[in-house]
Amino acid sequence: MTARWKNSIRGKLTGIIMLISTTAVLMAYTFSVVQDVVDNRLELDEQLLAYGQLIGAHAEAALRFDDKEAAIEALSVLRTKPSIVAGTIYTAGGVPFARYRTGPIASPSSVHHAANGLIHGHGRVELFLPVTIDRERVGTVYLAADRRDLVARMKEDAEFLVIILLLCLTVAFILASRLQKRISDPIVGLARVARNVSEHKDYSVRASTNDSHASYEIENLVIGFNGMLAEIEQRDDRLLLIQTHLEKTVACRTEELTVANEELLGAKNAAEKIAEVNAQLARESALILNSATDGIIGVDLDTEPSFLNPAAARMLGRSLNDLRGASIHQLIHHSRADGTPWPEGDCPLGQAILHGESLAVSDDTFWRSNGTSFPVEYSATPMFDEHGKQRGAVVTFRDITDRRAIERLKSEFVSTVSHELRTPLTSIRGALGLLGSGLLGPMAEKGQRMLEIAVSNTDRLIRLINDMLDLERIGSGKVELARQPVDAHTVMVQASEGLQSIAAQAGVRVVIEPASGNLWGDSDRIIQTLTNLIGNAIKFSPRDTTVTVSGTARAADFAFSVADQGRGIPPEKLETIFERFSQVDASDSRDKGGTGLGLAICQTIVTAHGGRIWAEKNEPAGSRFRFTIPLAPAITAPPASESLASGITDPTIKAPAILVVEDDLDLARVMTTSLQARGIRTIHAATGSDAIRLCRQHEPSLIVLDLGLPDIDGFAVVRALKANATLSRLPLIVYSALEVDKAEQARLRLGPTEFLTKSRCSLPDFEAHVVRLLENVTNQKKEELNAA
Amino acid sequence: MQPRQLLVIDDEDDIREVARMSLELTENWIVNTANGGAAGIALARSMKPDAILLDVMMPDLDGPSTFRALQDHAGTMLIPVIFLTAKVQAADRQKYMALGVRGIIAKPFDPLTLGTQIKEVLSWQ
Repeated sequence: MTARWKNSIRGKLTGIIMLISTTAVLMAYTFSVVQDVVDNRLELDEQLLAYGQLIGAHAEAALRFDDKEAAIEALSVLRTKPSIVAGTIYTAGGVPFARYRTGPIASPSSVHHAANGLIHGHGRVELFLPVTIDRERVGTVYLAADRRDLVARMKEDAEFLVIILLLCLTVAFILASRLQKRISDPIVGLARVARNVSEHKDYSVRASTNDSHASYEIENLVIGFNGMLAEIEQRDDRLLLIQTHLEKTVACRTEELTVANEELLGAKNAAEKIAEVNAQLARESALILNSATDGIIGVDLDTEPSFLNPAAARMLGRSLNDLRGASIHQLIHHSRADGTPWPEGDCPLGQAILHGESLAVSDDTFWRSNGTSFPVEYSATPMFDEHGKQRGAVVTFRDITDRRAIERLKSEFVSTVSHELRTPLTSIRGALGLLGSGLLGPMAEKGQRMLEIAVSNTDRLIRLINDMLDLERIGSGKVELARQPVDAHTVMVQASEGLQSIAAQAGVRVVIEPASGNLWGDSDRIIQTLTNLIGNAIKFSPRDTTVTVSGTARAADFAFSVADQGRGIPPEKLETIFERFSQVDASDSRDKGGTGLGLAICQTIVTAHGGRIWAEKNEPAGSRFRFTIPLAPAITAPPASESLASGITDPTIKAPAILVVEDDLDLARVMTTSLQARGIRTIHAATGSDAIRLCRQHEPSLIVLDLGLPDIDGFAVVRALKANATLSRLPLIVYSALEVDKAEQARLRLGPTEFLTKSRCSLPDFEAHVVRLLENVTNQKKEELNAA
Repeated sequence: MQPRQLLVIDDEDDIREVARMSLELTENWIVNTANGGAAGIALARSMKPDAILLDVMMPDLDGPSTFRALQDHAGTMLIPVIFLTAKVQAADRQKYMALGVRGIIAKPFDPLTLGTQIKEVLSWQ
């Protein structure tokens, strides 16, 4: 308890206060004692000196005159000063002359002649003062003062001091006990709070600041402590917050990690699956490539083979190693079918690969390593990677030796049929004809009738054979149409003239209405079509009716019409009558001697011309057959327009040249002739590769492009031109037999581009388009020049 | 007026017979026949006909070869030759005409108009 109290701030404060009090009292006492002692001593010294000199003055005469009485007299003055307890006057020899004594201190029995001054001894002060006369020492005055009364007084003071000290300490203890609370209480309170905080970790408690006794330091301490607590509490809160946040974040991250992990796992599985699928695909691809009967060659951008499937290797008699280091053209395509060398620069295959174009060729020759060749059908397709960059091309080919053989066989068969069937028919027909003529003698009426039947059926058989051959040859494209400008009225007349006798026999009038139109077609075939239709019309017309042949020129084509007044065609048959061996009535062919192929041939011929054929009901009775044939380009050209002429003669502008790309040489001639008549320079290309080459050479002002070309088609030409910055902006007129749909139009655009269909756009219209487009381009160039 | 003399060269016996009878009966021409190119050439040299009807497709020596042989011989080179053929395609016609024959008559022919066709081709009255 005592030790604790001593260690407590209260004990310490009390102790400190009491220590300070004691020290203060002691120091005050000591100070006063020292002061007292010093003052006393100085006073005593002065008194001793003063009395000494007084006595000395008196002692001079006494000593000179050896007057003891006087000496004692002189010493008696000491009685007034009790502190001086002894006095002696010595002679010059140091022998006492007179004495005075009131206390315990005895004078020395003799003094040394040199003795002089104050001597402080124990409990006493002694003065030796020489007595001189005329500088001759005649004696010495000795005085001694007792200082023991001073010590005694100091003892009394000390006793008093103890009493004072006790009193002081008591008072100090009482005051300290009371006053220390002012300091200690807030600190103790603070300590208690601190202990509470430390024991309970409760940072929300606060030390009281309301203590009026507290000094401002304590207050500051409390405020500081509270501030610290608040700070700690805040930090705690923040820490808690951070911790919570951290926990959440960790939880969140953990979740994310879990998800990511799952995803990774999923991705890994997917990747494995993909790899598996890829491997499967690769196996399948390899299997497909290996199993394909078509030859497949992959070539790089230098047209060097980089892949060869087994079929290709087998057909070419080469392995991939044999093929490396040279272009595909040099390896397997170096010569034409007749063995003449084929320059690589002219090779459409190499060019297509180099320019990233597709190419399909139905009839070509590939060469084996042993120098033999075989006929092929092949296609080249550019290969692009996922970034759209060309990586090379794949050439797929098929040995068409068998197909060629079949075609040859078919052709031979057709030829054989035509010969072998016709030969006996010639004899039969001739023999029957001669018999029937009566030239060989008269014939019974019934026999004559039988002969007529035999003749008419032989004729029919001959027609059937001819029709079948026609159909086969036109339909297969084996027979090229000999196209040229054809006058519509002339063919109408020619066709009807050949049928006059039949018409007369049938009692049917054939009327040709005036018509004018310059057609672009094969006149024999058009006459064949008309003959067929008019012949049909006559056959199905009752007596005394009229078959009307007419025609009208339309925007791009000429429409023929053959109308009869016969029994007509049921609506449901209007579509199907153009099919082979289709008859409105099953008995028709027998009754009317038709082959059932006439309309099919008509349709084949008209379609080959780019026209259309159809049947409709004739009003008021009968049927009407119509078909269209494209109009020919006008050859007699109107004079060139002013603006175009001035555009051409303008010396700052290069005379415009038009590149006409057309494989039909007759049509090309007509087109170039009529354009040249207008003063327009023309260049002609019959193939796609020529077109590209001429474009690069001449940079024409406009291109007229047919789509169906013998080597690469018009699409490939446009693709090639698009690759060239200048050529990609050339004005273009696509003048094609085929209708071009929207998607195809998008692929065919260069600069200003127009699409004309041959069957719908006559040559004059075509020229008008060319002239207008040229004018636009020329004007635009002028404007650009002016602007520049 | 001397009746015209014709030579018909065809490997088909029946056709030769029909043609001969047809021309003799309708036109009263004198018609000789040969069953092949070689025989035809020999006969042409000996009888010097006014015209020759020559079948195109024959074994051994075909029509065009026979025609060239006739053209190569001074004695027969001026005799007009008409091809008789079952091939009636325009391309074949142009090819044969290019050889220098005077005309082409298609098989099968009408026996009653065969003479008329020949006269038209040769511009005979």
